Amino acid sequence: MRYLDLAIGKALDLGAEYADIRVQKTSDEVVFLRNLSLKNTSHNVIYGYGIRVFYQGAWGFAHNNVFSEKAVLATAEKAFEIAQLSAKVNKDKQLHLAPERSYIAKYQTPVKIDPFSVPLSEKVELMMETNRILLGYEGIKQAMFYIVSHKDEKLFASTLGTRLELNTQWIDPMVSATAVTDSDSQSRTFDEGGRSTGWEWVLELNLQEKARQIAQEALIKVKADVLGPETRRSLILDPNHLGLTMHESVGHPTELDRVLGWEADYAGISFATPEKLGNYRYGSEIVNFMGDNTLEEGLASLGFDDDGVPAQKWHIIKDGILKEYGSTRDTAMEIGLDYSRGCNRATYYYDQPINRIPNLYLMPGTKPLTPAELIADTEDGVYIQGRGSFSIDQHRLNFQFGGDYFWEIKNGKLHRPLKKVLYKSCNPEFWNSCDAICDERFWRPFGVINCGKGQPSQTARMTHGSAPARFRNIRVGGSQ
Amino acid sequence: MNANFEKIAAYIKQHCHADDFSLHIGHVESHETRFAQNRITQHLAGPTFSINLTVAFENRTGSASVTQDDPASLDKLIQTACDIASLNQPDPEFVPSEGPKELPQVQNCDPAAQELEPAKMVDIVQYMIDQAKAFDATVSGLTEKHYSQRMLITKNGFVGYDESTDFGHSMTLKKGTVETKVSYDSKGLARFDQAAEFNRLKEQAISLADKRDMDAAPIAVILRPYALQDLIWYMTWMMDRRMSDEGFTPFTGQMGKLFFGEKFSLYSTLDIPAIKAVPYRDGIASKNTTWIENGMIRNMPTNRYWAKANNLEPNHIFNMYLSGGDATEEQMMQMVPRGLILNQFWYIRSVDAKAGELTGMTRDGVLYFEDGKIRHAVNNFRFNEIPHLATRRILALGPSIPTACSAMLPSLLIDNFNFVDKTTF
Repeated sequence: MRYLDLAIGKALDLGAEYADIRVQKTSDEVVFLRNLSLKNTSHNVIYGYGIRVFYQGAWGFAHNNVFSEKAVLATAEKAFEIAQLSAKVNKDKQLHLAPERSYIAKYQTPVKIDPFSVPLSEKVELMMETNRILLGYEGIKQAMFYIVSHKDEKLFASTLGTRLELNTQWIDPMVSATAVTDSDSQSRTFDEGGRSTGWEWVLELNLQEKARQIAQEALIKVKADVLGPETRRSLILDPNHLGLTMHESVGHPTELDRVLGWEADYAGISFATPEKLGNYRYGSEIVNFMGDNTLEEGLASLGFDDDGVPAQKWHIIKDGILKEYGSTRDTAMEIGLDYSRGCNRATYYYDQPINRIPNLYLMPGTKPLTPAELIADTEDGVYIQGRGSFSIDQHRLNFQFGGDYFWEIKNGKLHRPLKKVLYKSCNPEFWNSCDAICDERFWRPFGVINCGKGQPSQTARMTHGSAPARFRNIRVGGSQ
Repeated sequence: MNANFEKIAAYIKQHCHADDFSLHIGHVESHETRFAQNRITQHLAGPTFSINLTVAFENRTGSASVTQDDPASLDKLIQTACDIASLNQPDPEFVPSEGPKELPQVQNCDPAAQELEPAKMVDIVQYMIDQAKAFDATVSGLTEKHYSQRMLITKNGFVGYDESTDFGHSMTLKKGTVETKVSYDSKGLARFDQAAEFNRLKEQAISLADKRDMDAAPIAVILRPYALQDLIWYMTWMMDRRMSDEGFTPFTGQMGKLFFGEKFSLYSTLDIPAIKAVPYRDGIASKNTTWIENGMIRNMPTNRYWAKANNLEPNHIFNMYLSGGDATEEQMMQMVPRGLILNQFWYIRSVDAKAGELTGMTRDGVLYFEDGKIRHAVNNFRFNEIPHLATRRILALGPSIPTACSAMLPSLLIDNFNFVDKTTF
């Protein structure tokens, strides 16, 4: 596209030390059904470009939705003017960009059946039938089903000579049932958090069978007992649940911009400061976390980040020790790294990219261990499936999580269903209490499509994963 | 009226042949300067623009949106929305678009905010950084301004247009182990005084210098207005009329009953110039609404379908005004033997939707007081609390102040606020 060269040329003419342009077309198709009523059936396109200029240790970023030579040149000028203003403030404390080479490449999410090519009527019929199944259970008062299909088509060019064509997409189906009694209402949800794949995944999921399961479980849950006062117990957490726990307590604390205090005013900072690299015991010896933007079907597997840095795989925690962060070109140099891990991502064309969590997962246990064996080996505990309430302090230390479905474990057996379970823990206590992880046969990925961060606020996506794991001596109890 | 909006509206009216349609157009010019650790880390400017069209053929609906306004894009918009509707199944809860409405006259624009130059915004950032350095501290935050225009027209004759400005400045200061924040968010610049703003931050930081460890337990709290704001937002999200009528919230069956504390009254108002009031939402004209009056639930937000199905009037929370009292912080501290003063909450989430229970953390400074005087700062805490029950424990209210573009709230003294855990800082 001629606008790429035009923007880059203009930025260089003005004196930019580095510049890039990202032309991005984001398409979403949303179908949302509640109790057989279509609340949202829409196709939305957000299309424009953002030009980023680096000048004397400072950024300027301008965006526009008007495609013309005049508009592109004006946008480049505005980005440069803003960078000049920023540079005056930064004159004693400049930013620096980690070295990077140029790339000319294309990346495309592997998709067998493009969700955008599946007729709407087929989707709606599947959803209606699933809704009818849920509402067929007496006591289910709310049946919800949404499918979001998302596609990003990006062209990226930089003054390094990089030229990228990146076409990525994901899909996220979610089914939920809510049971209501005179005194309570409880929901059970099927939601794997989205995957970078096509409609073939939806076909494989057998959502109607999943609907029957969650309807039955919602009815069990609404009548379930509440756990008594908080005591220290064992927790067995399924991969879906652990996806959120690791997102909040490992993913965010190891974003380098938070570590540097760049999110101090809003999303918060991190306890995992640079002097802890290589020596801080974040978890027990069986705890190994990988950052991996090459993960198959990973939501952050995009080929390249919005700095033009290729996707990578690296240890964030190895044998329980904090090893490295997720970084960007402008954060890496702050701690003396001469490379970025490629974690700079923007949501829409009008967003300046920021340091985001990569695909991040807990490695499976190395010894054969099934979930049934793990439960059989647990005397007093709670087994939590799915995601519920979550809250963590702004240094990423103290947290409280709920869940979606709970079983009390007594003497190695699932004893009774529970509801309203909460557990409280903190870093590094929680990950150091991990004493067993099931083996790779039980490792599962789960996505996050709505990770909020930044000022102005952006939402990012990434995939987490684990096998079921056990945590000892955690404070677990019922809500009020 | 934005001339380009009118041109787009005319095109849609001429070319969209659906039985019904609603057209939303929005345009925002933004400038955002983000700073952290005494330097600028991000700096953004530009317009965002969207055109959203929802069409209906009988009760089959479809919706589409685009960010370009050339004829080809508008044709595609119409075609996409109509294609979706024609392929869709009937919606049993379909409600036709609104017809002509008399809308309230509001003034949500401040020319000074609209004309604020980027260089001046950077000067504000530079001033705050210089002050922080002189105080041997670092400062991080965001200075932003937005000028927004939006329009809604429908096939049935509704026409709504409004403009607004927003100027915001928030900053967090870190000095040693002390971290604290102040923020300003308003439609205008009239109340913004950069020197006073930094002094407020500095004084807050000084008050937190002597920090001691304290265990979590229920205790009286003085919620400063910014802390209350977060809590009230989450509580009002649970007050949807339909969700309550269908049994999903704690407010089921409580309409017209004394359910909150008698000292608690909550309104949306068109009559306070200091806070914004959008003139309409979803074709519903904004009007003065009493949500809670002396603890009695008078109204709950009701969407157009639920209103029609139940012969109710649709309404929406377009701003929040909580009538205050005249108690000062000093007087509140005299009213209980001991307690905590909270600046802000953080990461509030629902724990139990039916009970209305929320969890969250304190943030940006917690002060311990005893025998009527502030004694020292303490660590941050986690709460698990049911806000409507907490309002029954309100002992006193301070004067209401603007806390955001669309909120005006007081400080509250609440007894036995339920803290359940603490963190290490």
